[in-house]
Amino acid sequence: MTLLIQDEYPKKLLRDDGLRLDGRGLTDLRPIKMEVNVIKNADGSAYIEWGNNKIFASVYGPREVHPHHLAKPDKGILRVFYRMATYSVFERKRPAPGRREKEISMIISECLEPVLFLELYPGTSFEIFIEVIDADGGTRCASTTVAALALADAGIPMRSLVTSCAVGKVDGQLITDLSGIEDKAGDSDMPCAITWFNNEISLLQFDGKMNQEEMTKSLDMLKDALEKIYHMQLDALKSKYIQIQEGIQQ
Amino acid sequence: MENNEELEQEEEEQEQNDEFEDEETLREIVAPGEVLTDDTENYIPGRGAILNKKGDKIISVIIGLKQIKKNYINVIPLRGFYTPHIGDKIIGIVLDKNPVKYVCDINAKYSGILKIKNTVKRNPKIRMRGNSRESEIPEKLFIGDAIIGKVIAADRLNSPEITLAGKYLGKKMGGIIIQIDSQKVPRIIGRNGSMIKMLKNLTNCNIFVAQNGRIWLKGFDIEHERLLIEAIYKIENEAHTTGLTDRMEGFIKNEIERRGIK
Amino acid sequence: MMDIKRVISTIEKNYITNNLKKGERIDGRGLWDYRPFCIKTDTISSAEGSADVTLGDTRIITGVKYDIGEPFPDLPNEGVCTIMAELLPLASPLFERGPPDEESIELARVVDRGIRHADCVQTQKLCIKEEKAVYILFVDMYVINHGGNMIDCGGVSALAALISSRIPKGEWVDEVPRWTGKYLNGKELINELPLAITFGKIDDIIFLDPSLPEELVSDGRITLSVTEKEITSIQKSGIATFTIEEIKMLGEKALEIAKNLREELNIWQYVKNST
Repeated sequence: MTLLIQDEYPKKLLRDDGLRLDGRGLTDLRPIKMEVNVIKNADGSAYIEWGNNKIFASVYGPREVHPHHLAKPDKGILRVFYRMATYSVFERKRPAPGRREKEISMIISECLEPVLFLELYPGTSFEIFIEVIDADGGTRCASTTVAALALADAGIPMRSLVTSCAVGKVDGQLITDLSGIEDKAGDSDMPCAITWFNNEISLLQFDGKMNQEEMTKSLDMLKDALEKIYHMQLDALKSKYIQIQEGIQQ
Repeated sequence: MENNEELEQEEEEQEQNDEFEDEETLREIVAPGEVLTDDTENYIPGRGAILNKKGDKIISVIIGLKQIKKNYINVIPLRGFYTPHIGDKIIGIVLDKNPVKYVCDINAKYSGILKIKNTVKRNPKIRMRGNSRESEIPEKLFIGDAIIGKVIAADRLNSPEITLAGKYLGKKMGGIIIQIDSQKVPRIIGRNGSMIKMLKNLTNCNIFVAQNGRIWLKGFDIEHERLLIEAIYKIENEAHTTGLTDRMEGFIKNEIERRGIK
Repeated sequence: MMDIKRVISTIEKNYITNNLKKGERIDGRGLWDYRPFCIKTDTISSAEGSADVTLGDTRIITGVKYDIGEPFPDLPNEGVCTIMAELLPLASPLFERGPPDEESIELARVVDRGIRHADCVQTQKLCIKEEKAVYILFVDMYVINHGGNMIDCGGVSALAALISSRIPKGEWVDEVPRWTGKYLNGKELINELPLAITFGKIDDIIFLDPSLPEELVSDGRITLSVTEKEITSIQKSGIATFTIEEIKMLGEKALEIAKNLREELNIWQYVKNST
């Protein structure tokens, strides 16, 4: 593609005062806004605005599997379709799903499967559709977080919610929640997701370089960030109901 | 009206407990994975709750209202899908037919199967004449027809089987069907059918609430029907609050006055 | 408000038809009323222009992106504006995954023809250097929720996205396109405001803006794209047939409805400044 403005990255990703380019401290998250039940036609749905990321997720299921040969006789299947809108990135993306989208769909599906009781719904499928309409780094984390919310909103029994966030390293400093620039120009990036029923990591990817010490420290930072996001998720899930209750009491 | 009589009787059959109104139901909303109690010695996980992996906590698996009943901890779901149980009255729509069965959409994960033999209406008047063939007339259905049926077989693996043989069951004509979350059905009926009685009396509409979240209704004119539909959606939306029946009564009376409906 | 299924129950069909015959619609609208429109522009930071438009329950998010390429040989000084629609499976159980199907192509084509034949986009201004470099605008519509009448919603959405867009202005320097530091805004790009007006038909009753249940039971629909004075494109779809008198009447009606709608929406307010 030929564009008039080029997508350039600054050499330094940390300002002289030690803050990040968007004014955040090293462990600060971007502003996050979540909402459930945004798509009326879906069985469950959620929307997240995480910094500049804007993502919709909707859940359909349990329903009969199409095509039929994919159905498993002993358990239900979970299928995730992560897609990006053509206008969600700097250079227009091709409309057909690429390799990256298919890979992310798979890892999100594998990350969410442990929390579902799929063995109770043999021969059926749960389908999660994720549409990224605006992307700015960390879409797989935001997608996992919003997909878990959509599942909970659909009333599908699950062991717990799943929360996801990334940690990474830029200019030799460990940071939480990488933005688009930090993701592309930084040293390393580690998206993670946690399933809260056993406090275990169910999504983990890592690219870049980190020594053992940094790895330990970044995992601790991750835990703090995930806990913050988890509380936001719970609030988003309950707030609609609580608002109605409060409105009536007045 | 024949329908009217039928539905009056239906009311009594639909009497059941409204879990949302139970005194034991707390107004506390819980999300999946949230700890309901640490006290596993005195409490047992009931509906919508499980023990965690270590076995030291009881956690919720759905979004719902916490309820402590005797030594059980339950979660009354606020959203969810319909799972057929034997004996449920459901509203289905015929999707497909072949010489041995009708396939019906029943708002569940599998389509319902209605075998031709289960569509037979046994008419006692004809049987008295002694003509065995005429006494068994299968009800003829077309694709798109709405039926009220009863689930006679349901398990996890197979499509549920439904029947039209029985009181008040059969093809429905006229009126309109709306869909709500099947978990809120007890709320529309209310404790001992109080909500549904109130709705019927105030709006002069016939209503049939099926377990699968479909509601059939028919009134004298569209104004009444529109008001009733609005009221049903309002109940669905506010299902988790207290004093709903009284509030709905006030709402409908107000609206009738405001809109000038007779 | 009703259950969406491929097979529509006879009850619903009769109910909607019978009430339409009495002039009543289930959501309480008159026969010639639109559901409320709600427009938000500039919602997507990665796109050059964007609009999030809801019409009743229907919601379409449109983004505008650009590329620079060579013009078509027969139109050496004109840019290109292509419109694409994607019916996301997330928006409705009726939509399936996979390559674009007939419905999404129709949606894109009808919106595209409405915009193209109205000379809405000033394609001459989308030229950087004759025969060498012109802008290619991509207007991509994504259906987030399907509540009926996607064409009218998509039309407004595409228009609002184009009007609110800011495209870097280029110049031809040393045989390559360069950015001048300024932007082309909606005022320079857009000439006319064509609106798509869709009517549904059940039996012999015609009504404006079919909602999803109405769309599913209707025999067909007719979409007229109109500018202030002219009709710029018509698309009849479905198995409904229209008499000549009806089409004459609809032409007049569409112009009148579009006039009111144009005033109500006031799409020009979404123009951004060019610096």
